[in-house]
Amino acid sequence: MANANSSLEQEIKQLVADVIGRDASELTTDANFWNDLGVDSIKAIEITVAIERKYKISIRDEQIPKITTIGQAVEVIQQALEKKNAK
Amino acid sequence: MPSKRIVITGLGPICSAGIGHTQVWNNLLAGKTNIKKEKVVVDDELWAEYFVHKVDGFNINNFGIDRDALNYIKEWKEGEEIVDLNYLLAAVKLGIDDSKLTPKDCEKHTSLVLAHENLNLMPLGIKICQLAYDMLKSNTDSNISRKEFLSSIYKKFLKTGYDAQTFMGLFHVAKTFNIHNYSLFINNACASGLYALEAASQIIRSGQSKAVIVATSDHTDIYKYIWFNDIGIYSPDGKTRPFCKDSNGLVFGDGGASIVLEDAQFAKARKAKIYAEYMGGGFSLEGWKVTAPQIGSQSYQNTINQALKNSKVKAKDIDLLVPHGVGSGPIDYYESKAITDTFGKNPTKPLITAFKPYVGHNLGGAALLETIILLLCLDNKTVLPTLNYSNPDPKLNISLVKKATNKKISLALKACCAFAGYNAAAIFKT
Repeated sequence: MANANSSLEQEIKQLVADVIGRDASELTTDANFWNDLGVDSIKAIEITVAIERKYKISIRDEQIPKITTIGQAVEVIQQALEKKNAK
Repeated sequence: MPSKRIVITGLGPICSAGIGHTQVWNNLLAGKTNIKKEKVVVDDELWAEYFVHKVDGFNINNFGIDRDALNYIKEWKEGEEIVDLNYLLAAVKLGIDDSKLTPKDCEKHTSLVLAHENLNLMPLGIKICQLAYDMLKSNTDSNISRKEFLSSIYKKFLKTGYDAQTFMGLFHVAKTFNIHNYSLFINNACASGLYALEAASQIIRSGQSKAVIVATSDHTDIYKYIWFNDIGIYSPDGKTRPFCKDSNGLVFGDGGASIVLEDAQFAKARKAKIYAEYMGGGFSLEGWKVTAPQIGSQSYQNTINQALKNSKVKAKDIDLLVPHGVGSGPIDYYESKAITDTFGKNPTKPLITAFKPYVGHNLGGAALLETIILLLCLDNKTVLPTLNYSNPDPKLNISLVKKATNKKISLALKACCAFAGYNAAAIFKT
């Protein structure tokens, strides 16, 4: 699971990096989207759209502003994937 | 057989700028917004404070509506007054008066389309909460059974609950104005007004009716405020700043609106004043999230293009565009992208202006109310400037009208991107 999570984390870093126009290697797990990475509400939606398309999951409206770090995003996606696979 | 032409012959606005189109237009020209602080106090405890564009001097008895009809509603509702319904009734009366449809026209040839997001629902919720609290407080031994509690509340709210069904609002308004033809209730969130106009045009084109009254309304309450505030899109300082760098959300605006549409031949035969022709609309349901548009999708662009196609006009011929313009970052961005994709970056044509800084966000009634203001701009050959547009966001690549501009408008577009992804656009021709 640790490897799976780590691989997922790398994918998310790349996905976020593509949206915000930064190099994925600059992004840390704990970097705050809003304060450290300059993500605003528009970029947050773009990231959500990209995540949902890539993993074919749906993130609830109210979860979006609560996801503030790459680590939290990984957690939310992991849970959504587990829920999807359990069906 | 050529399709029937649909014209607009009556306007009935009620908003913070006034009651009736003459007063509304004069106050809009003067830049009056009538924003006031709403304080919600419960048992001496302050619950919330927020800004709202308020309607002053509204009294349902001042519109010349048949007294017996109003009394029927009052008796049915056992004295309970629903402000949203009163706004609907008053707006319909203003629209009928403006169009000069006769009582016979209403009875024989006219249909009714109402649009509202939650008619009666909020008053019902508030009453239930209050009664539940009172019952819990008075029942000190806490031995009341769940069944006893539920059945007691159910009995007390039988009438109010029944009335929360949308057909009841439709019934009351139609009965009041003796409208016995086709009737329809619509709810497509903030885009409801444009959906209602399209439905009305189809009713006329199908030959069902010669005229249709479309009416909407919304009255602010704390529950709506809490929802919008919690999701971070209610302006704390009460200023709607569409497409600005310092936009900080929307502000509610109370009121109602009605537009009368007619078969052009019927309107001409009775020598009605014609404000504009309704050319056609475009509609789509993006259906991604409830509270956020799907940035990057083409849904809104497709909607506008569909409106252009259905109206048989080209984007380059549109003179005036009135967007939703809520003053919330992602929604403004989503709208500006659709505008620049359709009209090019930093277009000089069409002129773009937004009306929520004047009258606030009337939610389910917003699109219709703003369409009336658009039609008043056309009628007065004057494009109103966008208030509070002092800090435009250059990244959005659009520029809004900053001062009142005298101009004859031939083609105008009203667009709206609503919650849940209800996108709508409608085109009007003078």
